[in-house]
Amino acid sequence: MNENIHPLAKRTVVWYLAATALVLILMMIFGVMMLLNQGEMISLTPQWFYKIMTAHGTGMVGIAALGGTAILWYFLSKYVKLNPAMLIVNFVLFLIGVAMVLIAIFVFDFSDGWTFLYPLPAQSAKLAGAAGAMFFLSGMLVLGIGFLIMYMYLAARLTKGYGGLGKALGWDIIFRGKKGKGPPAAVVATAMVIITNSTALLAGATVLAASILNIVNPAITMDPMLAKHLTYAFGHIFANCTIYMAVIAVYEVLSEYTKRPWKANKVFLIAWNCSTLFTLMIYTHHLLMDFAVPKWMLIIGQVFSYANGLPVMVVTAYGALMIVYRSRMKWDFASSLFFLSMFGWVAGAIPAIIDATIVVNHVMHNTKWVPGHFHTYMGMGVMAMIFGFMYYFNTTEGNQQHRGIDTFSIALYFAFFTGLVGSFLYAGGISAPRRWAEHLPQWVLSDQAGAVSGIFIVLATTIFTVRFFAGLRSVGSNIPYNKNSAAS
Amino acid sequence: MYQQIALYATVFFVFLLALAFAFVYGESKRSGDYGSIQKKGYRIRKFYFLGLIAVMGFASVMTLGRLPYDRNQAEATGMNEIKIVKVTGIQYAWEMSEDRFRVEDQVQFEVTADDVTHGFGLYNEKMELVAQTQAMPEYTNTVYYKFEEPGTYQILCLEYCSAGHHVMVKEIVVEPEGGSL
Repeated sequence: MNENIHPLAKRTVVWYLAATALVLILMMIFGVMMLLNQGEMISLTPQWFYKIMTAHGTGMVGIAALGGTAILWYFLSKYVKLNPAMLIVNFVLFLIGVAMVLIAIFVFDFSDGWTFLYPLPAQSAKLAGAAGAMFFLSGMLVLGIGFLIMYMYLAARLTKGYGGLGKALGWDIIFRGKKGKGPPAAVVATAMVIITNSTALLAGATVLAASILNIVNPAITMDPMLAKHLTYAFGHIFANCTIYMAVIAVYEVLSEYTKRPWKANKVFLIAWNCSTLFTLMIYTHHLLMDFAVPKWMLIIGQVFSYANGLPVMVVTAYGALMIVYRSRMKWDFASSLFFLSMFGWVAGAIPAIIDATIVVNHVMHNTKWVPGHFHTYMGMGVMAMIFGFMYYFNTTEGNQQHRGIDTFSIALYFAFFTGLVGSFLYAGGISAPRRWAEHLPQWVLSDQAGAVSGIFIVLATTIFTVRFFAGLRSVGSNIPYNKNSAAS
Repeated sequence: MYQQIALYATVFFVFLLALAFAFVYGESKRSGDYGSIQKKGYRIRKFYFLGLIAVMGFASVMTLGRLPYDRNQAEATGMNEIKIVKVTGIQYAWEMSEDRFRVEDQVQFEVTADDVTHGFGLYNEKMELVAQTQAMPEYTNTVYYKFEEPGTYQILCLEYCSAGHHVMVKEIVVEPEGGSL
């Protein structure tokens, strides 16, 4: 049991996880509906397809960030004293933002995608009225402000506890030859996420504000290329950071289960510093088909996208394999999902890296190859980490036990997720475009395979969720709290 | 070609990855001294790291010399004639200054957009994506393509541009060499 986390924060973590699980199921159903429509098994109007697509993308990235934040807060509380008010503020602003986004989509028919690529929202506003675009863009802004406030607060706490974000990232060990181990993995990862995600959110806020102003007064315009840079600097980094938050659980829990230390040695710290730098740089691989971008910038997009695979492949995933190897670790829901999540992360990185190769991107960009790779590391990576954490939370804070149905649901989830991402990657291989409401006959079979896989994934996720809520009943209300033990 | 390479490479590397995870899972039921496991693991990691660098370095060397931004441009300089075709994307159609070509034609597509960002995706008769670039307002992206097979090609929009995105398709005809236009 984590006695260093404030009881109110612990209850808020439960709210975060509950919202994540419930919204996830809804968004998965939306995803299945899109595949069923592309596979000609149901019939949606294009307007509804694109509305659902917009909700699916926005919702999935949002809840991945929400679940990742719950993990970050829970484990960081072991090392840094945190005020639960900040966690609550973020949650409230998140809910307000989500409500505005839902109103935009389902009341005012906004369907410009979660990437809201400038000047599309203004163009849609001209044709269908400004309310949808204004609600969506403002909702995203509110949501982003919530995260930004939280990161500023966390930056202040790490600065107080560790002497700055640089020291939290182990710079005194890397550059000044300080002996010993670095800060706990949770602190290192948090510092990385603060730096990268704050940058992302500022980029996002800039393009959101510019888009809003453009709708209010069309005379205020923005360079579309600059807007695209800012949009992907936001979207790419924000989505990536969900996994850098969630992986904290893997470090903490696998170390606990194997009774082996997972310390931040120099290689570990170098890897996380590289991830910090590369994550900020590689969003340009989203612009490889914008030939007007300077060539050097696009080559950086390729080379550093390759390099960004190294920290996870060589340090984090390899470290997970090493810590589990001959450990006689107890295999239960949490340890199984954390172990498999490392597989999912690296397995998703492989087609991502291949797609970041410019000559490949030239014939695969915006095909279904793209959702193929990011569904691998989001679904089999981030979400596996979050569900693993839900079970871990219930076992450590309550008394949930692993049952046969948990083994069944994990097998179901991973088997059919392999089917889903396999169908996407195959469809990308035969040039099926992504984000198309209707598909040509030669692409339909892959859509149908994806839809059937998706139905079973929803079933597995529903079992995970029911087990999580059932397990919550054993989480006591009289939660011990050690006011003094957390570092301050 | 690149689509097949991407698929086979992904299957191959994911298979290797799955083998590694399956091996470690199998070994997890035994116990061992973590100190010696770490020592051996770090030694293996050095070779693993160098192996990855070698694979990535090889891929970079093999591909960075063939960039679509300048490779065809370089080839084009040796050609007798380049057809310049102006392409403009607008919700939900492609306007082109020319849409009939002959095999062996080297075409320079100068692509832009009038309203929002679109994606210029050139598909051959087998519906394989053979070239693409973005169509962005205020910018012109130049993409080169040499038609080597006759048939009906299609330009599909590959950047989401609102509710009619999937109907933004234009057919272009490529006649056999010596055929009439």
